[in-house]
Amino acid sequence: MMRRLASIADEWVDRARPLEFIFEGVSYRGYAGDTISSALAAAGVMTLGRSFKYHRRRGLLSAANHDSNVMFQIGGRPSVRGDVTPLAAGMKVTAVNTIGGLQRDRARVIDRLAPFLPVGFYYKAFYGKRLAARWERMFRRLTGLGSIALDAPRVATPKRYAFCDVLVIGGGPSGLSAALQAAAAGAKVLLADETSKLGGSGMAGCAIDPARAATMRTLVERVAADSRIEVLTSTYAAGYYDDHWVALAEPQRLSKVRAKAVVLATGVIEQPTVFRNNDLPGVLLASGAQRLLQRYAVAAGSEICVVAANDQGYEAALDLHLCGAAVRTLLDLRAHAAAPLKARCETLGIEVLEGWAPYEAHAGQNGALAALSAAPLGATPGAVDLTRLRRLNCDALLLSTGWAPALQLAAQAGARVMFDESMQQHRACELPAGLFIAGRAAGQFDFTARLADGRLAGEQAAAAAAAAGTVAGVVAPCAKAAAATALAHGMAHGMAHGMAASHPFAIIDHPRGKNFVDFDEDLQVKDLENAAQEGFDSVELMKRFSTVGMGPSQGKHSNVNAVRVLARARGVPVDTLGLTTARPMYHPVPLQLLAGRSFNAERKTPLDSRHSALGAVWMPAANWRRPEYYAQPGLSRGQCIEAEVRAVRERIGLIDVGTLGKIEIFGPDAGLFLDRVYAGRYSDLKIGMTRYGLMLDESATIIDDGVIARLGAQRYYFTTTTGGSATVFRELLRWNALWGMQCALVNVTGHRAAFNIAGPQCRAALGALTDIDLADTAFPYLAVREGQVAGVAARLMRVGFVGEVGYEVHVPWGGAARVWDAICAAGRDHDLRAFGVEAQRVLRLEKGHLIVAQDTDGLTNPIEAASTWAVKMQKPFFIGQRSLRILQARGPKQLLAGLEIHGERLPQESFLIIEGGEIAGRLTSVARSLALRRNIGLAMLRPDLAVPGRAVSIRDATGAMIQAQVVPTPFYDPTGLRQKPGGVP
Amino acid sequence: MTESVRWSRTTEHARTGLKGPGAAAWLRARSVPLPLTANTWVAGAGGAGYIAMLGSNEFFIEAPAPLIDELDAALANAPAGVYPVLRADAAFVLEGGKVHDIIAQVCNVNFAALDFGPAPIVMTLMIGVAVLILPQASSAGRRYRIWCDPSFGEYLDHELSAIVGAIEKEPTGVQS
Repeated sequence: MMRRLASIADEWVDRARPLEFIFEGVSYRGYAGDTISSALAAAGVMTLGRSFKYHRRRGLLSAANHDSNVMFQIGGRPSVRGDVTPLAAGMKVTAVNTIGGLQRDRARVIDRLAPFLPVGFYYKAFYGKRLAARWERMFRRLTGLGSIALDAPRVATPKRYAFCDVLVIGGGPSGLSAALQAAAAGAKVLLADETSKLGGSGMAGCAIDPARAATMRTLVERVAADSRIEVLTSTYAAGYYDDHWVALAEPQRLSKVRAKAVVLATGVIEQPTVFRNNDLPGVLLASGAQRLLQRYAVAAGSEICVVAANDQGYEAALDLHLCGAAVRTLLDLRAHAAAPLKARCETLGIEVLEGWAPYEAHAGQNGALAALSAAPLGATPGAVDLTRLRRLNCDALLLSTGWAPALQLAAQAGARVMFDESMQQHRACELPAGLFIAGRAAGQFDFTARLADGRLAGEQAAAAAAAAGTVAGVVAPCAKAAAATALAHGMAHGMAHGMAASHPFAIIDHPRGKNFVDFDEDLQVKDLENAAQEGFDSVELMKRFSTVGMGPSQGKHSNVNAVRVLARARGVPVDTLGLTTARPMYHPVPLQLLAGRSFNAERKTPLDSRHSALGAVWMPAANWRRPEYYAQPGLSRGQCIEAEVRAVRERIGLIDVGTLGKIEIFGPDAGLFLDRVYAGRYSDLKIGMTRYGLMLDESATIIDDGVIARLGAQRYYFTTTTGGSATVFRELLRWNALWGMQCALVNVTGHRAAFNIAGPQCRAALGALTDIDLADTAFPYLAVREGQVAGVAARLMRVGFVGEVGYEVHVPWGGAARVWDAICAAGRDHDLRAFGVEAQRVLRLEKGHLIVAQDTDGLTNPIEAASTWAVKMQKPFFIGQRSLRILQARGPKQLLAGLEIHGERLPQESFLIIEGGEIAGRLTSVARSLALRRNIGLAMLRPDLAVPGRAVSIRDATGAMIQAQVVPTPFYDPTGLRQKPGGVP
Repeated sequence: MTESVRWSRTTEHARTGLKGPGAAAWLRARSVPLPLTANTWVAGAGGAGYIAMLGSNEFFIEAPAPLIDELDAALANAPAGVYPVLRADAAFVLEGGKVHDIIAQVCNVNFAALDFGPAPIVMTLMIGVAVLILPQASSAGRRYRIWCDPSFGEYLDHELSAIVGAIEKEPTGVQS
C-alpha cells in the first residue's frame, strides 16, 4: 500500500499545513503542496478512477499530467486532473465515469462484456440504420467524463501577448542550463515549466546521487537570480505555430509568445510495459513513483517490484529503497544488466532477474495489485517461457522499459520526426531555423550530457536570436566547439551505459488479453492486431478505427507501443510506419483560457442611445447592433413590425442605415476604377445622379451591391452592404494597388451616419429642415444633392429603398443626433415612426429587391439573380466579365423568382421547393405583405419552374406541402408609380 | 497613492485628414508642420495637437477645433490631388507604469520594445479594432494616444476600462 514517508530533502509538501478534503464521501488529510492524487496515495487510496470503456479500476500512473484515468469532478468543474491539481482545504472530490460511485460502479459489468465489444465497435454499431438511433442514445448516456454545470458563472480570464528572445520550454537540467546560457549571451529569456517548481526529472534519483541534487539546486537558484530570465511555472506549451509563436497555458491566463528562438527541453514520456492486467492500481511508471517520492515523500508500495529495460529502472529501485520503501525484486528485460547497478541492488537485498518479464498482474481483494506472475522472455517478441512462471507478491510494480521523447511541439514547428533504431525511440531531425532541442528529448540521458546539451542549445538559440536582432552578445565559436565535444561524449556515454535504452518490444502476449496499450480508450493488443487485420494497417487508419491515441492523453502513453504492435502485425520495421500527426493542442487547454475575455467587437451607430430610448429590440447585423423593431406597449413583435410598415406606406418612416458601408473615391481615374470593380458603368454617370451597383468576383458570383453617387467630375461616393464594407474596401485597395490607377479611396463607414426617411409625407417633414430643393424637378428620383439639414452638412440621395418616396441622409458622425432629432420633431405632426430591420425587410421584399447573401449565395451570378439589367457587358472590362460570358453561354442552373404563397401559414426561409419528389429550389425570403394582404417570397428555382403562373410546392419542417405560385416582381407598385412626379397621393 | 495605469477618453481636440499626391504641399502651404517620414508624427504648431503621416501621402491631424474647422473649410474646395478624409475618430489616452501590461492583453505589437526616438505612429489592431497609436514619453511612464473608428469607440472604451480595472485590482496594481 502506498504511504507517506518521513521528510526527504527538497519535498514539495509543507507538513506544517495539513489540509482536510473529501473524496467520494470520505474525509482524508493531505498537506499543502500535495496534489489530489498524491494526497490520496499517501492515504493509501489505490483506486482513483474508472476506465473509460470497461470501467476497470485505475490508479496513479505517471503523476505527470498524463493520468487520464484519474480525472475528477469538483463541484461544477469536470476533467480535473488529480495528478497535477493542487490540493485545497475543503475540496469535495468525486470520480467521474461511474454509476453509483467509484467502489460500487454498476457499469463495471461492461468489463465482462469486453469480448462482445470488438475494435471499431462504435463504427460498426452504425453500419445498419435500424438500431442506429438506439446505439446513439446508449453511447451518449454511457460516454463522457464528468458533467458540466450549465449555470456556472462565466469567469473572464486574460490573454496576453508576450515577447522574448529565447523561449525555453522545460525546466529540467537541460532547460535550466539552456536558459542560463542564453541569458549569459545577452538574450531576454522566458522559461516555462509545467510543474509548480523547477528542476524537472533532474530532481529524481537524488537519493543515490547527492551531487546531482546539489547541482540542480544551484541551477534553480541561478535561474531565480538572473534578471534576464522570466520564469513561468505551472505553465505548459499548448501549441507551436508559425514563426516561433507558442501558446503558453498558465493557470489563469493564456500567453501568446513570440520568440526569436526556442529551446525545447521537453524531456521524455515513460512508456508502459504491456502485459495482462498492466492497468491494475499499483502498477505505475517508475518515473511516476520517483515523482511521488521526490515531491510528496510518498512510497509507491510496501512490497515493490520493478520491471526495467534500462538503467533508469535501477535508479528508481535504488532511489525508493534508500528512502525507506522496500523493493524486493527487479525484472530486467535485457539479458544482461549493467554490472555495477546490479551489484548495488543485490547488496541492498534486491533480487535481480535478468531476461525476465512480467506476464500477468493479479488483483487482491481491494481490486489493486497483490501479486505478479513473471517468466523469462521467450525467443520471439511478446512470448515468455511459461514453464518457469513464478509468482511474486507485491503491492506496487514500477515499469521502466522505454521512453518516447516529447517531440509533439517540435513536429508542430515543422521538424521531421524519425525512428532511431539504435535508441529504439523517435528523434527529431531537420529542425526549422531558430528551433533547438536539448536534453532527453534530443536523446541525451546522461545527467552531465544533458547539462552540456542545454548549454549548447542555449548558446545557439541566443545566437539565432541575435541574428534576428536586438540581442547584444553572440557566443564565441570556441565555446560552441567545446560544447559539441561534450555533447558527443555524453551521447556515447549514455548509449554505452544503457542510459538511453528503450526496449524494442516490451509487450507481452496473453491468451486472455487485457494487456492494455491505451489506457484512455481501453485498447488491448488484440484490438490493434484486429484493426490491422481488417485493413486499417497504417498508423493514421489504425488510430481512427481503433481510437488509439484519441483519448485525453492523446497517445502520449500509447502511440509508440501501438506502432510496435502494428509493425509486428505487418512484419515491417517500426521506422517504416511513421507517427500520427501531432496537432495543437499538445495538452488539453481549459475552454475558460481559450475564451479569455470573450471580446466581441460590436459597432454602434451614433444613434444607438436614441434607438434604446425608442424601445429598440436589438439584433446583430454583421458586427453592428441594429434595432430589429421598436417595442410598443401592449403590442406583439408582429404587431410592432406591422405598425412600422404601415407608417412607411401611409405616412413617414425613419430608419438608421448608418451601418451601410460608405466609401469615397477621388481622382481622375475614379470613374474608370468603378467601371472595373462594378458590373455597371459609372464613368458616364451624370454629376448629381446615382446608380445601382452590383459587384462580382472573378467567377462572376455576386459579392456585394450598393448605390454609387457622382458628386463631381473626379469624386464619387458609394455604399456597400452592412456586412461587406470592410471586405469590399480591402479588396478595392488591393485592386487599386495592382492596377496603379490615379484614384484614392477613403472608407468613411464609421465616420458618417446615414438614415433613410421614406413615405408619402416624408418630403413635407424633410423639406422644412433643409436648404435643398426637394421638388421632383429639382431633385428627381435617383439624384444626389449636397446641402444642409438641420444646420449640418449633408448628402441626400433619393432612392427607392423601400418602394416609397425616400431620401437617404448622410451626415458626419458628430451631427447625426442633431439631424435625427430634428427629423423626428419635424415628422411628429405626420406621426413619423422609426422602423427597424424587420420592417425594412418586408418593405424591400414587397418591391422584389434582393438582399445579397440572403437571396444569393456563394455561387449566385447576376443571370440567376435576375439582375442582368445592372450589368453592362459591352464595357471593355470588369471583374467577373469573362466568367459571366461563359455562364451566359451555358445558361442558368437556377433563377430567382417571386412567389405568391397560398394560405395563411407562413413558411420559413430556406424551406425547399419540391417537384416530382426532388429538390427543385429553396425559399430565400418570405414575409406577410400588409399591402398585398398575402404571403410573398423570393425563391431560387429550377429554370423551368421560374415561369409566372407556374405552381410550386414548398415543403415545411414537418414534411407537409405549402402551395405557391410563381409571380412577377415587384409585388408592390410594379410600375414604380409612387416614385414618379405626382405619383404619391 | 499613484495610479499605476490610466485609461481615459479625450475630446479636447477635433480631427481631420487628407490624402493624395498634393496633400503634403497643400499642408506646407498652410504652414502646418509635417513629419519627415511616413508613419511618424510631429506636434502641431505651438505644441497643440498632432500631425501624423500615414503612408506616403496621407495625413491625420488632431488639433484645436478652430484650426480643424479652417482646414476642413479649405479642403471643401481643395485642388486636384488633395482629397479630404472625414475623421470622426474616438480618441483615448492610456498611460502609467503598467501601461504595457494592458497593451499586452489587447494588441500583438511589442510596444515595450518600441523605439520612441523616431516618433513612430503605429497602425495596428487592438481587440479586433483598427487603431492608430501615437506613443509619447510622460512623467508617469509611457503614454499612448489611441484613435479608432467612432463606431467602435464605446466597445473599446468598455473593454479597456474593464481590463484596466482588473489590473488595478491586482496586488501590485496600485503603488503607494
